[in-house]
Amino acid sequence: MAETTFMGVPREKIPWFPTIDYDKCTFCMECDVFCPHHVFERREGDRKLVVANPNNCVVFCRACAKTCGPDALSFPNKPEIIALIKQIREKESAK
Amino acid sequence: MKRAILSCNGLDKPEGSVAREVAIRTAEAIESEIICPVLLNRAPARYKKILSGSSLIVVDGCSTRCATKLATGLGAKVERKVMVSDSVKASGKPLESTLRLQPDGLTLAQSIVDELVHNLNAPAAAPEPVAEFEAPTEYLFVTHDKFEFRIPVVDYAFNENDVWARVLDGVARVGISDYMQQKLTDISYFDPPKVETAVDQFGELGSVESAKAVFEIVSPVSGTVVGVNPAVIENPGLINEDPYGSGWLVEIKVTDFAQDQALLLDGAAYADVVKRKAAEE
Repeated sequence: MAETTFMGVPREKIPWFPTIDYDKCTFCMECDVFCPHHVFERREGDRKLVVANPNNCVVFCRACAKTCGPDALSFPNKPEIIALIKQIREKESAK
Repeated sequence: MKRAILSCNGLDKPEGSVAREVAIRTAEAIESEIICPVLLNRAPARYKKILSGSSLIVVDGCSTRCATKLATGLGAKVERKVMVSDSVKASGKPLESTLRLQPDGLTLAQSIVDELVHNLNAPAAAPEPVAEFEAPTEYLFVTHDKFEFRIPVVDYAFNENDVWARVLDGVARVGISDYMQQKLTDISYFDPPKVETAVDQFGELGSVESAKAVFEIVSPVSGTVVGVNPAVIENPGLINEDPYGSGWLVEIKVTDFAQDQALLLDGAAYADVVKRKAAEE
């Protein structure tokens, strides 16, 4: 996935992915069933679901959170991420 | 057309209790029948007549969207939707964790009903479309398995969130790509942005919804919303039928399209994004 970019910025430089609130998550797996990009993975033990592939997450997509009945998924602040992407692009073009 | 109300049954979470209260109060306010979701699920024949002759007000308690999924599964016409958990978030006050309605839950329910009834009585003005567009004539095709995704060769600019813009005389018409409409499958609801609101590039422009997902429309341009497509509000299936033409969603008076364009893709570059996304799935 190293070659993947978003708006010309290497994907791994953009911290956009869901965070699971384990106090709320009921492990219903609706998000995992929904996400076609395999961001989540199921595990043995207490935390039956983890964000295993954060860089697979489509930047600005929050569709999994909209499947989450217990409201256990959160995303970063979008305007901050947009500002960060623009900043990285400017740095790159100045090179 | 008559209206009927299909709501969350309200026995799982506090948001559900509010949803149930919203349903009862709305039914009283607009003198409509309530459809019991459990009975509908168990014995749909009971509601066959009501469903075929009514448009639905759907009230979901939380993002599990049980009421919405029931409605779309039965192919019912959804006129308007309410999502209580969104209203709770917007209010900034979490509900107490009990199924018994508390005073704050009742207050919230009434405010949701007031807004809903107001909107039902005075539907948001849907101004006439500003721009006149010819349908695209030339497409690129990306194929993956049995699927084929069309992408207009010229005039359309895309963001990587599968939303297009086509600009004419300072107004951008915005919609979702053929790839995204196929991914969502049958679209049953378009929740439009408010006309006259300002939007930044990559800001939210409402959402479209199918049984499969709720898709937030990420704006490809910055500007002011000047129109929404009344035909799509009436018949969201148009998005599936003609995503680049009559299935457009929103019109935006652009502030600086030249600047927006630096962060958008042309048809050929977007085709590469679709190829990559389709391959990942």
